[in-house]
Amino acid sequence: MGKISVYRFLSAGCNGCDVQVLECLVPRYKLAELNVEVVSNPEEANVLVLTGGVNIKGREELIKVYEKINPPKIVIAVGNCALTKEIFDKGYPMVGPPDQIVPVNFYVPGCPPRPQAIVKAVTQILGAKLEEKEDYWVTPEGFRGKHEFDRDKCIGCGACAQVCSSDAIDIIDEGEKRVVRINYGRCSFCAFCQDECPTQAIRLTREYHLLTNNRGTTYVTNDVNLLECASCGTFFFPQPQIDWALKRIIEEKVPKYLEFKDEILDAMKLCLKCRREIMNVKKAKKTLAELSAKARGS
Amino acid sequence: MPEKVYVGPYRPQLVEPERFELLVEGNRIIDAKIELGYMHRGIEKLFTTKTYMQSLALAERICGICSGIHTLCYAQTVEKLMNIEVPERAKYLRCVYMELERLHSHYLWFGILAHSLDEHKAFLKIMVERERVQDLLEYLTGNRMNYLINTIGGVRRDITPEKAEKIHRFLNESKSLSDYIMELLNDNGDFTRKTKGVGVLPREKALEVGAVGPTLRGSGVASDIRKDDPYAAYDELDFEVIVENDGDVRAKALVRAGETYESMKIIEQALDNLPSGEIVSERKEPKIGEEFGRTEAPRGELVYYIRSNGTNIPERVKVRTPSFANNFAILEMLRGETLENVRVIIESIDPCFACTDRVTVVDAKTGERNCMCLK
Ligand code: SF4
Ligand code: SF4
Repeated sequence: MGKISVYRFLSAGCNGCDVQVLECLVPRYKLAELNVEVVSNPEEANVLVLTGGVNIKGREELIKVYEKINPPKIVIAVGNCALTKEIFDKGYPMVGPPDQIVPVNFYVPGCPPRPQAIVKAVTQILGAKLEEKEDYWVTPEGFRGKHEFDRDKCIGCGACAQVCSSDAIDIIDEGEKRVVRINYGRCSFCAFCQDECPTQAIRLTREYHLLTNNRGTTYVTNDVNLLECASCGTFFFPQPQIDWALKRIIEEKVPKYLEFKDEILDAMKLCLKCRREIMNVKKAKKTLAELSAKARGS
Repeated sequence: MPEKVYVGPYRPQLVEPERFELLVEGNRIIDAKIELGYMHRGIEKLFTTKTYMQSLALAERICGICSGIHTLCYAQTVEKLMNIEVPERAKYLRCVYMELERLHSHYLWFGILAHSLDEHKAFLKIMVERERVQDLLEYLTGNRMNYLINTIGGVRRDITPEKAEKIHRFLNESKSLSDYIMELLNDNGDFTRKTKGVGVLPREKALEVGAVGPTLRGSGVASDIRKDDPYAAYDELDFEVIVENDGDVRAKALVRAGETYESMKIIEQALDNLPSGEIVSERKEPKIGEEFGRTEAPRGELVYYIRSNGTNIPERVKVRTPSFANNFAILEMLRGETLENVRVIIESIDPCFACTDRVTVVDAKTGERNCMCLK
């Protein structure tokens, strides 16, 4: 492909991404050597770079611009707004993401993606080679990039999903498994999940080259086993969370409960519905006693 | 026969995305109107669906360029609602981070100014040097933009002696960039010629339309929230409010250039006098009631209003961003100007970023539209 002429289009983003796209022009990234230029008229462009989640007023404009782009009409969505609308998803004027309006070929996740990520994405798309020798290709310590789970530590409690600023984390219970699924294509990289996780199981790594051509691939997941309700048999609660809670109650908070350990554990093994059904204390005690007898017997 | 000229529609900010409708006669602008809403994302509504903590990330995405000051203004207002005393060290750190942000924002503006004056050499030079601020911010906060460094009750990352050392080193380098910009503005070359006497905003008009920040200070009004209503540690730091009297584009540029030196001064002092101790206080429950907060963003006074009903989700959040206030100054500045100057006048208030802006010239007789690209 000869000359790459990029036209930038932004609608309903914070413009952080657009600035990063602009920063790619700085000579140190050597895009000019690859024959890449930014043009100010869609009719002169053959590549369209989209940022932002597109609102009602931007839609018509986007369609018009898209139509003017010359072949091969490669469309690159830069930033998480352009992938999922991210934090603005539920905003009432939002009609994007852009791939709902025009075809999009590539996505560069990030909020905003580093210019380095955009430059590398462009070179990858062009099939060109990029030497990443200089320091600035390496992210500094403490950089907030793609997530990583410590699978042994995650207890499946869902605290991360509760505090997530962009609804990027889903807790999905399927049969005997609970899946914790982080969509880094929807993430604002606030690191609240990392801060809030009670067992330090989530870490934002220094990885930032996240180019994809398939929007369904921007996930990091972990799964934990769910516990079966001792009474009705439904899977209802993460097993590791029960173990963790019990350990905290007995070892850290109130050691004198140690002698009731089994009883507490038995109570925890009941799902919420069954627990509610135990209407009075007497019945509860009886059920608990029965259950623990059963448990010891087996 | 006057004809209509459209500028816009894209203005990438919260509520400021705008379209200008200019009424021109020949080459001269006789009147200007503004239409907003192209980048609207419904943020104020979204605020009422998120907890106070989650909203930090939302506040900073109102504008990626001055993202830090948005979180600070938001956090300070919430701190009033929650009655939180911020640790001294955090107050100083906030000044350091926010002045670094002002540097990157002002340098970016100079880059854009150079670009809109077709001074490509200067544009590249400024953008190249500016990368240093961005690299530094990334090193300090973990992200180049939307750094989420302020939190309710303080800041999220400390500055170790090692990091302070890096900042000092950076300041030395960035002085040379500011010197370069000052030279451009004072050497009576193209920069001066293209900006002097252009887009004049007289003092009275500036006050009348409610301009803020460098736009107002370029018209001779010494107004700066850091001095007028000090927050963080600004009352303990020594700096000047830069004022210019000409009211033209060059005056606004001189104000910003001068401010980059003041920012460096503030950062140096804050680092040298950094108190020891914690960097964040514990969050509390918000009271039932309402609070105002304001800060001096790179573009001027930023205002947050938050009403709380005592839950962990705000009932109403209202944001008045500086560019919104300054948009009306643009209208004043455009009147009587020629079409060639439209681009630089709009840029002069630093309305965040103009990405897809263009002027549409509508011939009043035939209704034919011609596009003229701004960028
Ligand atoms: S992805 Fe992030 S940085 Fe990019 S426009 Fe959206 S909010 Fe801004
Ligand atoms: S960093 Fe974690 S909490 Fe923050 S938006 Fe991303 S997934 Fe959500």
